[in-house]
Amino acid sequence: MFRKRYRQQIPELNTTSTADISFMLLIFFLVTSSMDTDKGLLRQMAPPPQQEEQLMDINKDCVLQVELDAQDQLTCNGKVVTPKQLREEVRTMASVNREGHVVAVKADRQTSYEAYFKMQNAIVGAYATLRESYAQKHFGKHYVACNSEERTMVNEYYPQRISEDLKGGGR
Amino acid sequence: MRPMRSMFQRKRHQVPSLNVASMPDLIFTVLFFFMIVTHMRSDEVKVKLEVPQGTGVQKLANKASVVNIYIGQFKGEWAVQLNGDLISPEDIPARIEELRGGMSAENADKLTVSLRADRHTPMGVITDVKQALQQSYALRINYSATELK
Repeated sequence: MFRKRYRQQIPELNTTSTADISFMLLIFFLVTSSMDTDKGLLRQMAPPPQQEEQLMDINKDCVLQVELDAQDQLTCNGKVVTPKQLREEVRTMASVNREGHVVAVKADRQTSYEAYFKMQNAIVGAYATLRESYAQKHFGKHYVACNSEERTMVNEYYPQRISEDLKGGGR
Repeated sequence: MRPMRSMFQRKRHQVPSLNVASMPDLIFTVLFFFMIVTHMRSDEVKVKLEVPQGTGVQKLANKASVVNIYIGQFKGEWAVQLNGDLISPEDIPARIEELRGGMSAENADKLTVSLRADRHTPMGVITDVKQALQQSYALRINYSATELK
């Protein structure tokens, strides 16, 4: 046949450098992105105080007065404590008087944030252990494994009653 | 050439070239993995800060409803940075309102403020910020921290 030409082989494309290019992209993404997820203590503040708000009278025995002074000294009902001891105090208080207790938090303007955070951590930790044990006892699983319904139940059983002095209040 | 060595000279074996055609695919897979699991740093942090360490920290979910506030040292003074730029605590309510307007209604309800403050910040600065947040009804606060091992 006169139309038949001899077959020409298509030369292969050299793709060796594609790997290098994609490596560069990969490294670019590794550098510019951040793996770290935001972690922290989630707290709910009280709404801003209203003018005609009435002060509630709370039995003094039910109040745990937690204070931080300018030297980062942590005191609980007037005596100096470590965050660990505070945790125990809050835990006993919250387990004895679940619905009625109040943890009143007050921090000096000169207190360092770290000391304040440690205090918050201790208080939140105390409630977390209580809730954890309740969840273990009643649902037979960890608090984190509970669904939102069960969590609300646990949270209502052990409410966090923290009042914060911001020239206002916190819950 | 050298007739003497010819009896020792073995036949040259050509090393077969490795087929690297699938290597880009592999690397692309890794690349896509990283693109999915990580997120771009959205705003440049201008203040110098080191968050405190805690034991019971939780992960903060739903990035779309999070407002970042950074508190730290800037040129030797304590400064507050909201998302991208440095502001004073008095401006917070206006900024929060603005951000809330830009969110979907569902996210605006769940608006969470991630407070990333340096561990040595005096509480005065933080109290001012918190009061401003309280005024603007941004009541969910996340005290950012790293997990203490």
